[in-house]
Amino acid sequence: MARRRRDFWWSVTLLAFLAVLAFLVYPLATVLVTSFTGEEKRFVLAENYHRFFTHRYYYSSVINSLTLSALATLGALLVGTTLAFAVARYPLPGKTFLRTAANLALLSPPFIGAYSWVVLFGRMGLVNRALSAFGWSLPTIYGWRGILLVFVVQYFPFVFLLVSAALRSVDQSVEDAALSLGSPPRRTFRTAILPVIAPSLTAGALLTFMASMADFGTPMIIGEGLRTLPTLMYGEFINELGGNPAMASTLGSLLILVNTAALMAQRYYAFRKAYNVVCIQPLTVRRTSARRRLPLTVFAYGVVCVALIPSTTIIISSFMPTRGPVMYAGFSLQSYQSIFHVIPRAITNTFVLTALAVVLDVLLGVLVAYLLARRRSRAHALLDALIMLAYAIPGTVVGVGLIVVYNRPPIILTGTWIILLVSYFIRHLPYPVRSCTAMLQQIDIRVEEASVSLGVPPFRTFLKVTIPLMFPAILSGAALAWMTTIGELSSSILLYSGPWATMSVAIFTEVFSNHFGTASALASILIVAAFVPLFLTYRVLGERAALGM
Amino acid sequence: MTRVRVEGIVKRFGDTPAIEGVSLDVRPGELFTLVGPSGCGKTTLLRIIAGLLEQDAGRVLFNEERVDDVPSYLRNIGVVFQNYAIFPHLTVGENIAYGLKARRVPPDRIATKVAETARLVQLEGLLDRMPAQLSGGQQQRAVLARALVIEPRLLLMDEPLSNLDAKLRVQIRSLIRALQRTLRITTIYVTHDQEEALAISDTIAVMDRGRILQVGKPWELYLRPAARFVADFIGTMNVVHAKVEGPGPGPGALTVVTDFGERWQVRAAGSPGQPISLGIRPESLHLTPGTNTAEGWNALKGTVTEVVYLGAVVRYQVRASENLLVTAEIHNPDFGAICGVGDRLTLWFAAARAIPMPGETGAA
Repeated sequence: MARRRRDFWWSVTLLAFLAVLAFLVYPLATVLVTSFTGEEKRFVLAENYHRFFTHRYYYSSVINSLTLSALATLGALLVGTTLAFAVARYPLPGKTFLRTAANLALLSPPFIGAYSWVVLFGRMGLVNRALSAFGWSLPTIYGWRGILLVFVVQYFPFVFLLVSAALRSVDQSVEDAALSLGSPPRRTFRTAILPVIAPSLTAGALLTFMASMADFGTPMIIGEGLRTLPTLMYGEFINELGGNPAMASTLGSLLILVNTAALMAQRYYAFRKAYNVVCIQPLTVRRTSARRRLPLTVFAYGVVCVALIPSTTIIISSFMPTRGPVMYAGFSLQSYQSIFHVIPRAITNTFVLTALAVVLDVLLGVLVAYLLARRRSRAHALLDALIMLAYAIPGTVVGVGLIVVYNRPPIILTGTWIILLVSYFIRHLPYPVRSCTAMLQQIDIRVEEASVSLGVPPFRTFLKVTIPLMFPAILSGAALAWMTTIGELSSSILLYSGPWATMSVAIFTEVFSNHFGTASALASILIVAAFVPLFLTYRVLGERAALGM
Repeated sequence: MTRVRVEGIVKRFGDTPAIEGVSLDVRPGELFTLVGPSGCGKTTLLRIIAGLLEQDAGRVLFNEERVDDVPSYLRNIGVVFQNYAIFPHLTVGENIAYGLKARRVPPDRIATKVAETARLVQLEGLLDRMPAQLSGGQQQRAVLARALVIEPRLLLMDEPLSNLDAKLRVQIRSLIRALQRTLRITTIYVTHDQEEALAISDTIAVMDRGRILQVGKPWELYLRPAARFVADFIGTMNVVHAKVEGPGPGPGALTVVTDFGERWQVRAAGSPGQPISLGIRPESLHLTPGTNTAEGWNALKGTVTEVVYLGAVVRYQVRASENLLVTAEIHNPDFGAICGVGDRLTLWFAAARAIPMPGETGAA
């Protein structure tokens, strides 16, 4: 008697599948197929891959990407975990400041972080020029060292936030029990606490790894020719001597492969190792002597100060008089004035496109989350997996895929703003879906059933009861989607055309044309714009709820 | 008042059967309890009656009218859920008014009815509070009011007391029973607690593994359980195996010999040589130290293996034979009736107190 009517929820499922298939699966499949295509569109089994793995020019990129991402992950794990433990377990002064500062580091997109280090330590950098007055010089910031610095500073907050949340869920009685059974502190940590936080630790590692693999702007700005998979892919696709979509697709396919494999490995591990923990009294703060506290305090403040350097540098430098890449001491609004001459539309483009994408993400995300949490079927499990795929696939790959698919009839989107919106929408759909699904799992389904039994039909119950209860998750999902969309560079740089440049694209091109003043001014606006919604969400919901972790 | 009939309900979850052909007849205005261990299908059946779950086969009738195709929100029922299911984003007053608003009752009428019902469940003065500011008992009364205020034709309650502490449980239990009697509303009540079922119900149905084993008044189930499962689930039952020897001293009486050699007179039917199982409630047993026997009473000799002294009651475990451990409860025990572990004693019971039990394998 199970009735399968073509009701509203059936249409939502269909719509979600259409969106994911058209804007993600089909473009990615096209990238994969193109990687097996030779000249004149004939099918070749491994010609592109053979070329890739026999030419150092190509294969060095995969080595660089993997090495950098692995080192960045290691660095972020070390810094993030240590900071999380220091804050959770030791009586450090100013913990609220430490937490807030670590969160703030997530706000600016990585390429802006890269640019800020160039502003400070680059060839024309403020610090370098100051030092050269004394005849001193620093080792170069360009190349792999700079990239690694940017990645670790940028991504350690992932690890910090996840591990902090996990530590809050460990009950003090677990540690007490282990210690009382005669397990020394070090062993207690290894055998009783580490296993419980391991899923969160690996989740933080995964986020860092995938983001480092995918990042396009950082190696472009600070890498000085160091080839990574995304930069080489971009270069192959947008080549002045005529692009090579087949080789770009080969690089893209490798990116898809590496990130999807990492995602699946972590999911598998975390699924097997997830424990249900009941926490009444979280781990308590340990009393330690001032002498032992000092190095931890220095470390914690050192880390967050370094993490705050990028945004501070950008905002300060935006008010300095500049000529080309050289900045002078003093105060000036010159940079802000020149924004409006250079690319006046970039700001409106960014705000309008981001707002549209976030609204669409939230609308579809809320409905899809309800389906995933409440009416799960095999089709919905597949939908869940496909949406999570958007999380793992680098923007460069999505960008190339969308161009290859939508630059020919029947649907031509290249050259319009729609293709930017499509990319923003599909890539950030996972944020509201995740936050709302997690929330729904905590809302007792009987609350909805109570409403139905009291005479309110299911859909009106969804609007009157479910939506209000989901509100915090909707807000935080929207804030996260907004924050990540507004500084999106890796697909924008491929998809924008003519009047549709965004702020991130404008910053990028200004940096490359050595207009550091306008770059800093635009980046400042971007950082503030990314910050405001998240700040408001914090104010409404409190820190923990806002990050949905 | 609504009569509820359930006919041949079958429900499976995947390959797991949850309900295997259940039929019930709930009389108008009575409090009907479904009792059984967890996983017996009682909540599933309740949810089917509520329309929150669809059965695979069978029908549900409210006053001879089939409601299988009537969605839950049109059945006009009140449901009280196990963990309150209170709307956390609405005040107590808004929670109670929720169903009335859905029925487009005019606002001034809503206000009066909410106030009236709040008084009924002793929640006056708390209508502006948020649910988080209420205690568990208050939350439970709020959802009770929310279900009652719509004047449902049927009240369904799914383990409504299981989240409350023992004292509150008894309090709210009496409140529910009193309200149900005054409002004369047909109520189906689900619980796993046999004591609660005995205390609150007009009629009880005992469920196990998706089937109904027995339906009856509380004392019918206790005094004449139709199945071994019912005997064990409702209270405690000592079961003794015996063989019929011949007719007893009076009409309807039998003489039997237990498998540990005692000769008893019981009220039962059977022919000589036939095996018979007899149930004896712990509180039917009396105790004398030593191993003396007396005429007219059935006796059982054994050694004490455990004593639990509870003041008003002493509970003994007595080893009567290699295969039989008997539980005896001696009420209001005096000094003479208190034995220790290892003591030999004799347990007594009147012939009428032995309950013929249906065979161990088949039903009654």
